[in-house]
Amino acid sequence: MSSDAPQLTVKLFFREAIARALCEEMSRDDSVIVLGQDVGRFGGSYREFAGLYERFGAARVRDTPVAEASMIGLGVGAAAAGMRPLVSITYMDFLMLGLDPLVNYAAKARFKTGGQLRAPVVVKTTAGAKGQGVAHSQCIEAWLMGVPGLKVVAPSTPGDAYGLLKSALHEAGPVVFVDHKRLFPTAGEVPLGEATVPIGKAVVRRQGTDVTIVTHSWMTTVAADAAARLVPEGISCEIVDLRTLAPLDTPTLCASVAKTGALLTLEEGQTTCGVGAEVAFRVREALGTSRVARVGARAAPVSSNPVLEAACLPGAQTVIDAVVRLLTS
Amino acid sequence: MIYQLVVPGQVEDVEEMRVLEWHGEVGRVFAEGELIVELETYKAAVEVRSGQRGVLRRVLCAPGDWQKVGKPLALLSDDPAELLPASPDALAPWLVNFEIT
Repeated sequence: MSSDAPQLTVKLFFREAIARALCEEMSRDDSVIVLGQDVGRFGGSYREFAGLYERFGAARVRDTPVAEASMIGLGVGAAAAGMRPLVSITYMDFLMLGLDPLVNYAAKARFKTGGQLRAPVVVKTTAGAKGQGVAHSQCIEAWLMGVPGLKVVAPSTPGDAYGLLKSALHEAGPVVFVDHKRLFPTAGEVPLGEATVPIGKAVVRRQGTDVTIVTHSWMTTVAADAAARLVPEGISCEIVDLRTLAPLDTPTLCASVAKTGALLTLEEGQTTCGVGAEVAFRVREALGTSRVARVGARAAPVSSNPVLEAACLPGAQTVIDAVVRLLTS
Repeated sequence: MIYQLVVPGQVEDVEEMRVLEWHGEVGRVFAEGELIVELETYKAAVEVRSGQRGVLRRVLCAPGDWQKVGKPLALLSDDPAELLPASPDALAPWLVNFEIT
């Protein structure tokens, strides 16, 4: 096949892209196992593990109690013993309970044993607000970005979810795979044949000339909406979807901002010590002066009241207002 | 009279569905209440049952095809001999009841 042949794709629901990546990796590698609440016969909270239990059996697709610290501890230990576990933490809020084995053991295993042990565990978790209140809605991926030894990916499309999950399952160390409640109703094109998306590579989702919007996960959709609505205003937005939060793809960010001269960071989580703070600093460090603004959640818990939830989170109008302010300041 | 069977809605968060299975081929008569087609959303199956009696005339979306809510899946008619139009756009909607399972 010539290299310029079009890549064939198939349209899948977001959950199906995750299930397919796991199915392929579990078929290829007997050490890949799945641990989590309701991942077995039930097929996962979002049906993203559907079919795996039937195909690979209870020994490799294991339901666990509601005990996140133990689930991740078990996964890290199994990884250090030679397995490749994927631990499913249904809501990212509950990742907090498992941070000790993830941060103190998995991320440091290789360093602290002089390379004798490594812990190739994937922790898959679902972030984001969708009516479920203060402790089931948070986006705390920024907390993880500063942990040496830990990689963090956060896809925004089924194709990237598929490709990044496969890459995560090939990694030598721990990876946190962050998806989002609002991505599960979406569908999109996924390569027909096996493929991966490299960890550490951002992608330009939309070409533009006036401002670079750097974002990830569900907020990529919000950015796209804002960018489309800014076209009649004569403002051309470039959108960079980070895809990987750790390590950050600084060259792609800088190339875009060097072109547009203005940077707006957009995230659903808090802006204080957020993803955007790190992105903005790196770009300023590399490029010197450029106009910068950041958009994220208000400094308040996310309510289960839909009016208060929406008031707390950035939407397309928030982004539009911030872009206009940035470009006219 | 010729009708279009469209993807039913509104279903929360669902913009499009995928065809799982047709329950009958072109030429089959559907009585009121009979299952015509099963669709799939991101998390559930949707059973689309006929709300009137008539004949399945043309299937526009095969199993595996995607269609947006409100867009046509098939043409049906009261009488099996009625001439089908080139485009389904102006046709009246076929009455359905749907159940999310």
